[in-house]
Amino acid sequence: MGEQGVAVRASVSSESQLTEQETDELVKEFEAALDQNLSEAVAAIQTLLKFIKTCKVGTISGLRAELKVATETLIKARTSTVSVSSGCELFLRFITMTSLEGQNDFEDLRRKLIKRGDMYLQKVADSRQKIAHIANPFIRDGTTILTHSRSRVVYCLLKEAMSSGKRIKVFVTASTIDNSGEEMHQLLQDAKVPSKVILDSAVGFIMEEVDLVIVGAEGVAESGGIINKIGTYQMAVMAKALNKPFYVVAESFKFVRMYPLNQGDLPNDEKYTSVNSSEDSHPYIDYSPPQYITLLFSDIGVLTPSAVSDELIKLYL
Amino acid sequence: MRTIRNRLCTAGMASGMAVAEKGRSDLGKEVEEKLHEFITYLKQKNPHSSYDVAKRTVLLLREVCSKTRWYSARDLITNIRAAGKKLIAAQPSESAVGNMVRRVLKIVREEHASCVAGSVDEVDVRALLQGRDDSDDLSRQTPHLKGSVIEIINDLLGELELSASNISSQAPDHIHSSEVLMTTGYSKTVEAFLKAAARKRKIEVIVAESAPFYRGQELAKNLAVAGVETIVVTDSAVFAIMSRVNKVIIGTHTVMADGSLKAINGSYALCLAAKRHSVPVLVCAALFKLSPQYPCSYDHDTFNKIVSPHDILRFSEGQLVSKVHVQNPVFDHVPPDLITLFVSNIGGNAPSYVYRLISELYHPDDQEL
Repeated sequence: MGEQGVAVRASVSSESQLTEQETDELVKEFEAALDQNLSEAVAAIQTLLKFIKTCKVGTISGLRAELKVATETLIKARTSTVSVSSGCELFLRFITMTSLEGQNDFEDLRRKLIKRGDMYLQKVADSRQKIAHIANPFIRDGTTILTHSRSRVVYCLLKEAMSSGKRIKVFVTASTIDNSGEEMHQLLQDAKVPSKVILDSAVGFIMEEVDLVIVGAEGVAESGGIINKIGTYQMAVMAKALNKPFYVVAESFKFVRMYPLNQGDLPNDEKYTSVNSSEDSHPYIDYSPPQYITLLFSDIGVLTPSAVSDELIKLYL
Repeated sequence: MRTIRNRLCTAGMASGMAVAEKGRSDLGKEVEEKLHEFITYLKQKNPHSSYDVAKRTVLLLREVCSKTRWYSARDLITNIRAAGKKLIAAQPSESAVGNMVRRVLKIVREEHASCVAGSVDEVDVRALLQGRDDSDDLSRQTPHLKGSVIEIINDLLGELELSASNISSQAPDHIHSSEVLMTTGYSKTVEAFLKAAARKRKIEVIVAESAPFYRGQELAKNLAVAGVETIVVTDSAVFAIMSRVNKVIIGTHTVMADGSLKAINGSYALCLAAKRHSVPVLVCAALFKLSPQYPCSYDHDTFNKIVSPHDILRFSEGQLVSKVHVQNPVFDHVPPDLITLFVSNIGGNAPSYVYRLISELYHPDDQEL
């Protein structure tokens, strides 16, 4: 299993078996999936599933080699690589699990993979809604909420809270590296959720007015800590200092097998945007350790940070 | 207790069950009568011992299993849920009722699964990936279900009865000779724990009196009668005296799913004082006090209980009563990071491990009844 974990993040060393045209198609497919407002991980899984349907290999190891190349292509095509690689890793795990069930015929296996893959995609399709439903009771009427950058799960939750008749007020940090907080603000405005954009540097100022903090995550590490857009860590520390609950909403496909001990442990190609991954460029993500996180809401339920490793063990053991 | 590996084998995905299980329930006259009797008890007598509440709930649910009409595990689950909902509505602050209802539901699910040689549905990533469908349906008739469910319920009753002695038997492991211990309020479990410790070791116990109910004084008296060196202090002296204390040992009303406590008021102050002085806090709580619910609204009406102000300001002090508001909340919410260890009937566990106990004791579909 470890070998897969490495494979996902291994750089381009393996000889590419994809033609340029195939690569283009793959990326186009991926972009199209992303345009459907899918999460990066799900879009990656969907693309890889389509790839299985069309690729012309005849053995499991052949399939795996092709998929590795395809995975690398997808990771290079996208800025938020943590979610992409977590999706791809999950997909490889899925293939191992299915192939271990003892099919002799490869075509049989391929059919089974496609069937199960489609089923999985169906099930995760409504996971944002499910999370919103689970987390909604934690937001009370009259709550002031601080969130960071743009997250579709957080948006979904805030909309759900609003539509269940709660009067909420939201502060969104601008997240100046790409101003995605402004996007979030616009989304919330459209959904009639009262919101206000604040500077990233105003987190300390605003924290005393806030009842709770909710953020999304690009990846949830094995420690129960989260990898998210730069600026999340300082928010978590600040929330802890002022005793405000710090909640994370993240779908279960974002759980990754990483155990970062500090910021430096985050892989460079994920820390910096893959377009420009030199050490000089500005980091894009940070790691918030589990001791700052109150609870995680995922589609498999409410989890304490220590419960995350349990879920990962169940999956990868 | 099932192991992780076992759980891996039994992974599966459940859905749509809650909808299917909503049906009419017919408990029958005899069980209905017992149910109402218990509801009256829950509504009237105050405060309750949560052991009594748990035990009576299980006894009632055993009646539901043996005396109501049902043909499949699904019918039985519907019946238990119907009874459970009424009980919880009668006294929402007694979480032991809900805990026991969920324990029995889990028993039914497990026994049904073992009768049809299947597995209990679980919700996790692996199950999602494997795409197990929910074919193991609970409506299948299983001839031996009743007998085995009642047998396991009897085991549960046995577990309840033994829980206090199981906890107190661990006392010598946690308490050393000539230690100074501190507690607040009155908990039968803590009383037994301290007495068991005192039989083996020479200890000194400081009891905060726990105003306005002063049940701490009751505990102090019982301990003194048993020959334990006991000191009573006011609640406000807790911090001042903490520097002399080696361990804080408290009971609780409920352990929430994140490892926080719903405990008698004064507990939070005590635990904060302990934290300030780096004194370990041990919480004696049997497994039936473990609730699968999170404190999503701990200052909310459903979490706390506000009782008559009589204990604080008597009605005879009428002149004052008309001029002030008197609030008398019963519980405190103690966050998990103030607690060192839970001592339950199956051993000691850190607060961060509570989630695991919960996933072993309850089924995720029974969160909402």
